[in-house]
Amino acid sequence: MAKHETPLLDELEKGPWPSFVTDIKRQAEKSPQCWDILGQLELSFKERITHWKHGGIVGVFGYGGGIVGRYSDVPKRFPGVEHFHTIRLAQPASKYYSTKHLRDICGLWEKYGSGMTNMHGSTGDIIMLGCRTEALEPFFYELTHNFQQDLGGSGSNLRTPANCLGQSRCEWACYDTEEACHHLTMHYQDEIHRPAFPYKFKFKFSGCPNDCVAAIARSDVAVIGTWRDNIRIDQAAVKEYIAGNIPSNGGAHAGRDWGKFDIQKEVIDLCPTECMWMEGGELKIDDSECTRCMHCLNVMPRALRPGADQGATICCGAKAPILDGAQFATLIVPFMKVSADNEFEELIEFIEKVWDWWMEVGKNRERVGETMQRIGLPTFIKVMDLEPIPQHVKEPRSNPYVFWSEDEVEGGWSRDVDEFRARHAA
Amino acid sequence: MALSNEELKAAILKKAETAPKPQLYIKDFYACDPDSKPRVIKNAANDLVKEGKLMFWSSGSTTMYAMKDRIKNEEGESGVN
Repeated sequence: MAKHETPLLDELEKGPWPSFVTDIKRQAEKSPQCWDILGQLELSFKERITHWKHGGIVGVFGYGGGIVGRYSDVPKRFPGVEHFHTIRLAQPASKYYSTKHLRDICGLWEKYGSGMTNMHGSTGDIIMLGCRTEALEPFFYELTHNFQQDLGGSGSNLRTPANCLGQSRCEWACYDTEEACHHLTMHYQDEIHRPAFPYKFKFKFSGCPNDCVAAIARSDVAVIGTWRDNIRIDQAAVKEYIAGNIPSNGGAHAGRDWGKFDIQKEVIDLCPTECMWMEGGELKIDDSECTRCMHCLNVMPRALRPGADQGATICCGAKAPILDGAQFATLIVPFMKVSADNEFEELIEFIEKVWDWWMEVGKNRERVGETMQRIGLPTFIKVMDLEPIPQHVKEPRSNPYVFWSEDEVEGGWSRDVDEFRARHAA
Repeated sequence: MALSNEELKAAILKKAETAPKPQLYIKDFYACDPDSKPRVIKNAANDLVKEGKLMFWSSGSTTMYAMKDRIKNEEGESGVN
């Protein structure tokens, strides 16, 4: 039986899509505080203003992240949401867990919280929505002692690292993303659990350029698997695809008849750098022109495989805010060996150089990509002890990124900037 | 020459006590000792939280530091309605 009238929210139950309002009403039968979530949200819709207070000082002992304080500013009207804190749980690498574990986690959340969850948050964590302050410590004790699971990151911390399925299930993975993610999670426990930076910091691990965790779009350091030799071609399998004996795209898109597979139309003509052609019945690739778009490998996975000399490309500076200012990452290191054999030493050294610089020069609430943009890529590349390379140039002439100084050019040069500006306005 | 850990902690506490705003970003403490690396200052501030002398205040996306008795605790307030 509903506790509050919610005519505006009820509108959101109409139509063909699943509704969070229906879900919350169902959960409210078990957890009555959920009625107050609906009541407060209805009030916010009517008054067009949020009734959540901003932030707070909740947490569990020894941790400075993982719990986001949320308090209602109308607690007398909606006592069930007087405290309604969010808890972030670190997801296991690749989000592998048994259904029993998920049921147990949900059971634990119904014992201590509202039972409402968000599976998963954008960063990857399991999000538990709605907990009173006094329930935080007992929940945390059971979570860590009985379920061997930990809190994730929040605030100005290193956020919970995330990775794709990697070599556990994917033939394209160019390095062990699960091992890398787990190793760095354990290595940086202090940075995950206690604030360290001017703002949030994320790293994500994708095994190949398909980038299934969208690392390039939303992480401050994106580690994306790649190769530096040639795509491996099985010419016999290419012929089987052409003959229609192997379904393209691994059998995906099979819901309708697309006609006979046409390698020219579906692969060669779609190559963004036009580096493929057929010659004497064989598929040829000019690998020096390949930009790792993955289209040909995705269409013909049994004929084409990533090269054998594998590692990762490191990109920096992405962010994906909800409101505005989304920014893709910038390529910094085209190829780096990423291996557990040396405990990811090279990657760790890279990350810590980024941190040292950003902690020094980054402004409050400024992501590292914004700092790079404000100060400039040439400075960032120098700080990272890297040589500028053609791949750093985004758009030749219009946006060269790399500027030579006089002492870097043999013979130097002399010029009068004022005289030049008299003829060419800035 | 950089301050010792104890001197640095004392300087951070003084800043947290006297700053016009009760909640401070970690970068606000960098001025306590320009010779100390940001990571050293961060570790000292986090030690003060462990000792119960400072508290974390978090909006969820950003974390700030504050003296316990200078910060408004949302909990226990009755709210506007």
